[in-house]
Amino acid sequence: MLPIVSITLFLPLLGALLVMALRKTPARVVHTIGIVTSGLTLLGAIWMWSRGVNATGFAQIEQFDWMPTIGAAYRVGVDGISLPLVLLSALLFFLTFIFSANIKERPHAYVVLMLILETAAIGTFTALDAILFYVFFEVSLVSMYFMIAGWGHEDRQRAALMFFLYTLLGSLPLLLAILGLYLGSDPHTFDMRIWIEHPPLTGTGAMLALIAMLFTFAVKTPVFPFHTWLPAAHVQAPAAGSVILAGVMLKFGTYGLIRFALQMTPDAFRDAGIIILIFGVVAALYGAFAALAQSDLKRLVAYTSVNHMGYIIVGVAIAALATDPAVRATALDGSVLQMISHGLVTGALFFLVGMLQDRAHTREMDHFGGLLKVVPILGWSFVLAAFASLGLPGLAHFPAEFQIFLATLEVEPVAIIVILGIVITAGLYLRAIGKVFLGEPDEKWTGMADLNIREVLALGPLLILIVLLGIAPAWVLDIIHQTTVTLKF
Amino acid sequence: MARDLAFLIPEIMVLLTIVFALVAEMLRRPRLALAITVAGLLLATGMTLPLLGADTSVFSGTYRIDTLSVWAKLILLPATLLAILLARSELGGSDREGTVYVLVCLVTLGSLLLSGAGDTMLLVLGLLLSGLGSFALVAYPRNDAATEAAMKFFVFASVTGAIMIFGLSYWFGGTGSTLLSDLSRLDTRPMLAALGLIAVTVGLGYKASLVPFHFWAPDAYEGAPVSIAAYLSVVPKIGAIFALAQVVRDLPMNTGWPLVIAVISVLSMTYGYLAALVQNNIVRLLAYSSIAQAGYFLLGIVATNASPLAFKSIIIFAAAYAAMNLGAFAIVMRTGRSLDAFSGIGRKNIARGVAMVVFLLSLAGIPPLAGFVGKFLLFGASIDAGFTWLTVVAILNSVLSLAVYLRIIIPMYQPPNDTATPTPLSAPAPMPLVRLVWRIAFIFTLGIGLAAQLLLGQMHT
Repeated sequence: MLPIVSITLFLPLLGALLVMALRKTPARVVHTIGIVTSGLTLLGAIWMWSRGVNATGFAQIEQFDWMPTIGAAYRVGVDGISLPLVLLSALLFFLTFIFSANIKERPHAYVVLMLILETAAIGTFTALDAILFYVFFEVSLVSMYFMIAGWGHEDRQRAALMFFLYTLLGSLPLLLAILGLYLGSDPHTFDMRIWIEHPPLTGTGAMLALIAMLFTFAVKTPVFPFHTWLPAAHVQAPAAGSVILAGVMLKFGTYGLIRFALQMTPDAFRDAGIIILIFGVVAALYGAFAALAQSDLKRLVAYTSVNHMGYIIVGVAIAALATDPAVRATALDGSVLQMISHGLVTGALFFLVGMLQDRAHTREMDHFGGLLKVVPILGWSFVLAAFASLGLPGLAHFPAEFQIFLATLEVEPVAIIVILGIVITAGLYLRAIGKVFLGEPDEKWTGMADLNIREVLALGPLLILIVLLGIAPAWVLDIIHQTTVTLKF
Repeated sequence: MARDLAFLIPEIMVLLTIVFALVAEMLRRPRLALAITVAGLLLATGMTLPLLGADTSVFSGTYRIDTLSVWAKLILLPATLLAILLARSELGGSDREGTVYVLVCLVTLGSLLLSGAGDTMLLVLGLLLSGLGSFALVAYPRNDAATEAAMKFFVFASVTGAIMIFGLSYWFGGTGSTLLSDLSRLDTRPMLAALGLIAVTVGLGYKASLVPFHFWAPDAYEGAPVSIAAYLSVVPKIGAIFALAQVVRDLPMNTGWPLVIAVISVLSMTYGYLAALVQNNIVRLLAYSSIAQAGYFLLGIVATNASPLAFKSIIIFAAAYAAMNLGAFAIVMRTGRSLDAFSGIGRKNIARGVAMVVFLLSLAGIPPLAGFVGKFLLFGASIDAGFTWLTVVAILNSVLSLAVYLRIIIPMYQPPNDTATPTPLSAPAPMPLVRLVWRIAFIFTLGIGLAAQLLLGQMHT
């Protein structure tokens, strides 16, 4: 059988090597290589999707020995939690390449970094070996650092440095936890499947490993009070970088929370469940309130990410606390679906803010007004994405958040105060729409051009999927549910 | 006797190389001396391969042919070769060029003796042999800076060497033997064992530039030619670290030696990186970074006898460190010693910029590069030995190290117009040998990261 997971995983890297070899080619060719490579990768991900997942454990496993002396191997595969994330990553990268096809500043280096980042992202979601996971996890960090430092806005050096140091500080505890799990397993191995099947640590060891992992994933997600790098990184990152950062890389945190923390130290996670739940609730509410205070559109969207990721933490904590398997599956279904919805919606919103900035060179809400009449396609797209982001029924976030809240009511009804977050986000998006798009157009924006073909191509698929996922989430939920219903912990 | 000599073929090859190269130098044929050195080092490396897997000792147990000493040859001989290529590029054509090659090989021989030492006298011999050559190499340019650096180096080495010999006399008094393997007899007299341990730590700690015995290193590296600094930061350091491993594996546990080593490790890592944060001369920055990296080696030393990963991690990290550190120094040689010389270099020269980023990120321990695999194994070894707190400190220092190395990386990618300093009118002439060295180092830095199994699979413990 064709090793389609590995092909999908390394296609972008091959593309990157090709671009490196063609140092003298013009920018158009380089961008075409980027689009074609990521398009092929998307096809690979769709192929993986068509092969589906197993009800028991992981599917589509490909492996060979890497460092047998210490029990590390190249092991990749997917289950119902990782497969949707792979598809989401492949899609977002493809659209990002289309969106940024007009970059003229060092296009070679840009495309190479983006393609390396794509391999790192897909690798993080498909790795079944802890070392391999860590390698991809860190490579993504390095490429994102150069992305922000090289193509960001005014204060990019400081933001990139802060991003790199903060997230490296965040990810090193994971290394400790991995070493702890490795030394606890018998025989010593880095095989994540074995760690999930037979959690290697118990008691205090498991709790310490869990604390280390929670720290890592809390920084990555990010959860209040570890979120301070996020607004700085987003504000300075180029639009394409923001889309990938929010749409794909934040999911490393929540994916790791489920894959590592919940699955490898389940008992400790259950013991700490209430505390994790409180962190989730606080993060969701804090993100909403902080977003309310922003006048910069990009910061606003960045803080709503903190809010939406907070719901995922709540969902995972509820799943750990639940005793009824059906409720647990509902909570996890909601959490995983929320990751996908957030990728699509926030991806669209960052594209839109980027498009606005390209035209107006500002992101301050107060500088705009009445844009709906000037740039109707851009305006209505923003309205749609914003409504999706605030959780309107019929759009992508609703089915996910609904399931999370449903399970929360079953298990820990007090925690439902998190639903206040929805009210606040509704308020802040309505205010943003009012200020930017409604009212009488300011004359200085009258000449603003509406979306061009390139931008429509980048944005369109996301908007279609946002509606599709809102009306008929079953095609994704079926895959997720196959795994969540069988998880035992 | 014949059996013993057969095990010593690599060392004998190095010695013969020294003799023939010296003859060539006396005949005023520096190129011939270079050719002899290169061929001799290659041959000695090749002759080491059959020894892989050996675990024995020669000359009544005074010299060990084991995993550590065999791998020391496999790492240090090629590293010496690369350093000699750098020296040829920097010092080639100068007066007494051939003596550089001779002295470098002599220091390497001393470092090899250290890494296989099974006897306290051999420790002393190795330390002196590698020391004497080093002073002369640092003083080679014969200018004020170099002379001052060599003088500091010499005084420091003499004092620490004397302390070590003094302390070793206690061990001899306690055991009645100079063999390291007899140190276990000291388990009833921990005070005596501890006195000797402190003395050995002083002697080897100076050679490995561990805090608080590091003061000579930044000055010596700065005063010496860059190629010599690169060499001193790799070969004698690794020799001393391996010697420390040879000593502690025979020390009784009740001396508390792991704690002593752990404290020195914390001091070296933390002080090294903190001091590196404020350097503006890249050679000094790399000197402090090499002090910190020596601290990381000690994570493997504390796990000696307690974890099967201990020696594996030290060896892998030694190979990784040799590749990435030589690579970084080679690029400094090509680019310049000041931080300003690096501004914009990543945009002007893509390949060299990428290579420097890879070396620096590898030094910081970012996967999938060589430094990551080495540090990862070191962390595993020290957790396995019950030193989780030490690993946590090492991990925090890794964050600090990234801040240090980013100080070089950030200006490399700044747009040229951001810098106030005008670009030098005449760019330095291309240096093909230096380029060869950093390319080889680059391949090894990536290769050891991705295929550490090729080394691990050959190690028997």
